[in-house]
Amino acid sequence: MSRSAQTAEFLKTVRLFREFAEPDLQALTGQLRDRKLRKGHVLFREGDGGEEMFLVREGTVLVSKSVTGKVEQVLARFGPGDFFGEMSLFDQSPRSATIQAETDTVLLALDRDDLNALIEVNPRAAAAFFHGLVQVFIERLRASGELVAEITRWGLEATGLDMESR
Amino acid sequence: MTDASAPRRAKLELLVRHDDESFDLQEVTSSAAWVQMRPTRVAPDAFELAEVTSRVSREHNFILKNRKTERFLMLSEPERFLWDQMAGHTSLQEMATAYVLKYGEFNFDIIPSLIRKLQQAQLLTLEPAGRLRRVLARNRRRRILRAAETALFALERINVSSQHVQPFFGHLYRWGGFLLFTPAVAVACVLLGVLGLAAGVRLWASTEAIASGFGGHAVAAILSVKLLLLATVALHQLVHGLALVHYGRRVRELGFTFLHGILPTFYVDVTDIFMASRRARVVTAVSGTLVHLVLGALWFLVALYAPPGFFRAFAAASGLIQFQTFVIALYPFCFLEMDGYHVLVDALGVPTLKSDALAYVGAILRGAAPARPSRETALYVGYVALSALSVAGFVAFNVVLILHATG
Repeated sequence: MSRSAQTAEFLKTVRLFREFAEPDLQALTGQLRDRKLRKGHVLFREGDGGEEMFLVREGTVLVSKSVTGKVEQVLARFGPGDFFGEMSLFDQSPRSATIQAETDTVLLALDRDDLNALIEVNPRAAAAFFHGLVQVFIERLRASGELVAEITRWGLEATGLDMESR
Repeated sequence: MTDASAPRRAKLELLVRHDDESFDLQEVTSSAAWVQMRPTRVAPDAFELAEVTSRVSREHNFILKNRKTERFLMLSEPERFLWDQMAGHTSLQEMATAYVLKYGEFNFDIIPSLIRKLQQAQLLTLEPAGRLRRVLARNRRRRILRAAETALFALERINVSSQHVQPFFGHLYRWGGFLLFTPAVAVACVLLGVLGLAAGVRLWASTEAIASGFGGHAVAAILSVKLLLLATVALHQLVHGLALVHYGRRVRELGFTFLHGILPTFYVDVTDIFMASRRARVVTAVSGTLVHLVLGALWFLVALYAPPGFFRAFAAASGLIQFQTFVIALYPFCFLEMDGYHVLVDALGVPTLKSDALAYVGAILRGAAPARPSRETALYVGYVALSALSVAGFVAFNVVLILHATG
């Protein structure tokens, strides 16, 4: 199987592209670039500029946010089929978190120009893309709420603060 | 059988970066953070404490009043003991240890319930403990002081440690460590100490000549002697750990940190020895210090027979600093909570001797001490007086030594 066919097969496992027709997937494979990361290497840091989103093809990356000094909180782990970095494509803001390879990792990168081209040339594929994106955003929003609750519970337990009888 | 309904402890996953671009992932449970918490009571002028004795049971209780919110709390005698520890220096884990030392048993509910009561009465604060910390926190707008505070926090955060060291100590004990706890080694230590002391006395006569061996490298020599001492502190801690294994207890942690953010030191967590006999606690405390006695004696003997020059001066200086470390670690009356101090408070059953004594003498100096003296207050005054005299004597000895060495 050719590299392009392998990439198209992989894209079918990514939620953003599940509703893509075969020709659309084939067209997309030509726009994605491989990016390899050795274990421990930082892809980008919180505050960096960026115009690419990434799909994890192999390995695992850590998403972390600076807390104090050299300590960061691990927010999530992304493995094969997951994606990240899409926020910078839309709001052009600096990266909101640091991404670091937890294992040797292979990523596929999609930049803003390629995404704009997809939207212009293939509105049907673009609609499927954004539908998948909204679904993942909802899941991540729910996960963020869970994380906030977990951290609040951690703070209450770590300080012994009894709010029920205050 | 486990309790399926018990709530899961919350945990944070943290990524800690190192200077060499590597990193560690650490999971911190809320319970681990809780036992390391150092509760700090509000300022002394923000509360009042009065003793009340029940006419029926003759039990001593205490009324604690928050002067700001006008809230009152009733404390039992053990709770008052814990309240006295809450000056921001003592972790809940250390408080539990002090509680066991004082009462011989541990009540697992007393600390959490007391913390809850005190928080509700707003008698605990989150302000930084210690004068230096408070001054730095107050002056964060000044760049230099902000940098100093950051540096202090950064140094305090340096902690290289492992909690999986019990197998290491077990192997070390089996491979010869057990010999340290035999009567023959104890006798050999004492003999060596006496010989070393005699060598030190003989070296005293030629101090100036020995010190001249440093030539123009006095600063480098002092630094290397200090570095060597740091390495022997690691050895001291290893022996503490071996003593735990000897008494069938567990070494919970071995590590390196900056004590109070300034002093580099190695440490072992020996808290498990509190579950053993008093003899075991004394042997554990004393055995580590003997490392300095043995090394001090060996260095003095080497210095006695070495030819004049840098090495002889280095050996004599190392011997001296090892002997001084031995004395400081074992002598309880020097305001430092070292091994000898822990043996003393264990024997007296007064785990908070230093802080209580300093508070009492401070009250005397302010004219606010209770009028009626007791055995306890005599102990406090004695501790402070003896410690002050000892520190003065130690400083005087070193001044005389420097004058003697420099002619």
